[in-house]
Amino acid sequence: MNLSGANSQRAKVLINTSVLLWSLFFVTRRATHIQKTSAFENFMVDSFAPLQKGGSVMNVWTSDKIDHYVTNIDASKDNVDLRQTISKLNNKIFQLDEIARENKRLKKLLEFGVTASHRKVLAQIVAWDSSSDFKIMRINKGLKAGIRLQSSVVTADGLVGYVYRLTENFADILTITDANNRVDGIVERVRAHGILEGRSHSKCQMKYVTRTEPIILNDQVITSGLGNIYPKGIKIGTVSRIERESYGITQRIEVSPSVDFSRVEEVIVLVSSGNAARQQEWSALDGKGSLGRK
Amino acid sequence: MKSQMKDILPSILITLVLLIFFEVISSAFIPIFGIKEYKLPFHLLIVLHLGLKLRTPYIAVLILVIQYFHSFFSVEGWEMGTIAGVIICVTISYLKDLIHLSSIGITILIVQLFQLQWLVIVSLLIYMKGGDAAYLTDKFWHFVPESIVISILAPFLFIVFDKIWSIGETDFIGEQG
Repeated sequence: MNLSGANSQRAKVLINTSVLLWSLFFVTRRATHIQKTSAFENFMVDSFAPLQKGGSVMNVWTSDKIDHYVTNIDASKDNVDLRQTISKLNNKIFQLDEIARENKRLKKLLEFGVTASHRKVLAQIVAWDSSSDFKIMRINKGLKAGIRLQSSVVTADGLVGYVYRLTENFADILTITDANNRVDGIVERVRAHGILEGRSHSKCQMKYVTRTEPIILNDQVITSGLGNIYPKGIKIGTVSRIERESYGITQRIEVSPSVDFSRVEEVIVLVSSGNAARQQEWSALDGKGSLGRK
Repeated sequence: MKSQMKDILPSILITLVLLIFFEVISSAFIPIFGIKEYKLPFHLLIVLHLGLKLRTPYIAVLILVIQYFHSFFSVEGWEMGTIAGVIICVTISYLKDLIHLSSIGITILIVQLFQLQWLVIVSLLIYMKGGDAAYLTDKFWHFVPESIVISILAPFLFIVFDKIWSIGETDFIGEQG
């Protein structure tokens, strides 16, 4: 297509206006709590995510080369065989240590919540969201591993978030530190309810807690089970700051998540059985399903 | 003026490959070194380059394509970035006689200013959608270091983008209609 002069200007105005309106329409349509993707988007995410996964593989490979080749390059020729043997043994010990540490971590993870009636899917974090505005982690398990949208994600330390976007082999987790995430929580000691919202990388804010609730610092906050996403009783964090005025209805509470998000390597996705049936029941209760309309 | 699709297609394909490379660096490689809180918005730099250097009626579509590919790496989506990008391009077209990317310093300054405009537009859209202004403070404090790094990288990456889009010295904005 060839455009020139006045035609070009008209086309530019028309295209700009169309794209702006199209984008505005989709901004208003975009849901903040869940993101459903098309088959094409799934394909693209599944195609690019292995590149991101390559990041961690490359890191291990580079460390291995530096540790076991470059540093040995000055060794005398007489000692090459010996050094190689030592290097291999050291490498093996390092790998075994790593495996032992990983086993310990995974064992701890799998022991977590043994009483929960959820199927557990162990997954590794392969990337973070490329925008710092969102606290999203990408894991290496998806639909093929049985994960579903809005499945809860935890570690041995506590709640991580829920599955926000899902493809065949990968899933994006909306963490509890993201501003778009809402968790219904209870202060364990006094059973006071509130809604937790992400604030920054290491803090959440607990909203709508009545001013008269006698909450103190270091009180544990757990999930209440309300909202149909998170199971009840999962540790969220501890109260790290309280702002209570002599007036007003609520108090301002800051919660430090029990999960250290800068050190998370593996997570467990809790997939509840019979999600479809449960969804239907919820729809009916909400008045959206066929039962509700009757 | 690139008014034919055949002039644009090869360049946009190479730009997309470069964008994917930068997105992988930003989302997977930089966090390996422990920098998980700050992510460099390379997609923004590419959009600004298109806006500042390219003369084509399809600029809005190109921005949409760039943002769509960015959305595979971020749940941010393509919509807000596209709106911000198109508005910035319209602003640039009005200010084209005032903008001359004649030195590294000026390029850094102009990129920083347009990043600020991007922040204002996106923040406004987020506020209108969510109604929560507290989140914007956190966004601003991320923006400061990220935008400075992007502005510093801009003059050097613009040279690469110029080669991809076959933009010569005389094609600076303001010197052509």
